[in-house]
Amino acid sequence: MAEKIRKCAVAATLSAALLNAAALAAVFFYAPVEASMGEAQKIFYYHVPCAIAAYGLLLLSFVMSIAFLSTGQKEYDEWAFSGVETGMVMIACVLVSGATWGRSAWGKWWVWEPRLTSFLILFMTYLSYLLIRALGTGDPRTPKISAVVSIVAFLNVPLVNRAIAWWGSAVHPARIGLEPPMKHTLLLSSFAVALMAASLLLWRVFSARKAEGTEEGNP
Amino acid sequence: MRLLRSALIVFGKEIREEARRKESFLASFFFSFISIVLFHFSLDLTGADLSREGSGLLWLIILFAGSLFTGNSFRKEEENGTFQALLLAVSDSGAIFLGKYLANLAFMTSLGFFLLFLSGALLNMPVWNALLPLAFVFTLVNAGYSSLATMISALLSKEKGSALLYPLVLYPLLVPLFMAAAALTGTAMASGPLLGSPWLRLLVLFDILFFVACMLLFEYAAEE
Repeated sequence: MAEKIRKCAVAATLSAALLNAAALAAVFFYAPVEASMGEAQKIFYYHVPCAIAAYGLLLLSFVMSIAFLSTGQKEYDEWAFSGVETGMVMIACVLVSGATWGRSAWGKWWVWEPRLTSFLILFMTYLSYLLIRALGTGDPRTPKISAVVSIVAFLNVPLVNRAIAWWGSAVHPARIGLEPPMKHTLLLSSFAVALMAASLLLWRVFSARKAEGTEEGNP
Repeated sequence: MRLLRSALIVFGKEIREEARRKESFLASFFFSFISIVLFHFSLDLTGADLSREGSGLLWLIILFAGSLFTGNSFRKEEENGTFQALLLAVSDSGAIFLGKYLANLAFMTSLGFFLLFLSGALLNMPVWNALLPLAFVFTLVNAGYSSLATMISALLSKEKGSALLYPLVLYPLLVPLFMAAAALTGTAMASGPLLGSPWLRLLVLFDILFFVACMLLFEYAAEE
């Protein structure tokens, strides 16, 4: 099984590298420069896909946590844990790209804008998940505790989605009007980031399986 | 019906135990009192819009003081070795959650009223003319707070360093609740309309979502 995951990870990594090269070329040479924000707007093509990938990974962790609690199978816990770890990388990318974009567009590193703030809340929430995993290493209850935390934490995600409607926003427009080349570039970069996230996830699961195999004397 | 009866037994036990020991109760109330006094000296609230700034301060104190009490709700069972006895006596883990939840809700509500009285009397916050809307907001916020606080307390009670982990896990989960709480408390103090506010919708959604989730997940949190 670990070998199968490794093969998938290699394939995903190679595809992600190719697609990201194409996406970067589209971002810099195909997508037009946005009139009001200038070159800084190009961060958008990676900022939004990272946010979508983060949601996807946290959803995966949520589903796998439910599966783990229902069946008790360790594989589901590995997927859930890896999903959160990779999701945290994506959330960090959203926060860093959001801050950089904010600095270029509005002259401030951090704006307490609802969606960005909601990602900060998600980051803190899942940081506590990682803290539980780190402090409870070796404790047989830790996977169960972290599964419950992952499920409860994911319930915050709909609040993130609805945040812009409930709290109002001065920074992000509710609907973004994009020119066709911008739409194509966003679509391409979304696939590229999704593949990059998938490859990270697969490598993380592979390393967890490998570590487990080594512990059991079955490398 | 049986669940409710068992839950009320657990609730009664919690209230009797706290009335006898008083430690968590007194610690939380004293913490709230000293926080109000310290806020008075550390922040110059002269000329500030107390319905806005004051509501944030109030909920910050409730967040910290409340966790002193709620964090102890399962930790004390572990320390005294009574959790297994409780599970055997009640048999339904849902009833334990509900009983502890009601006890935490009762405590948080009394803490809320105590703080409203203190903030009105000592910080001159405009609470006296808005007691009914404030009671409505406090009950809704405390309902959401108690669900998560009870579940996280049970979840971490057997962990090493649970006292350290408890606020770190609980506080980030409570951020949306407290944002809504501060906004609605400010609106209530300024005699603004509560019904129809998007914050109220968020609060009700939070309460329902987390009560159901915690009720369903509690059996896993209570497992050995």
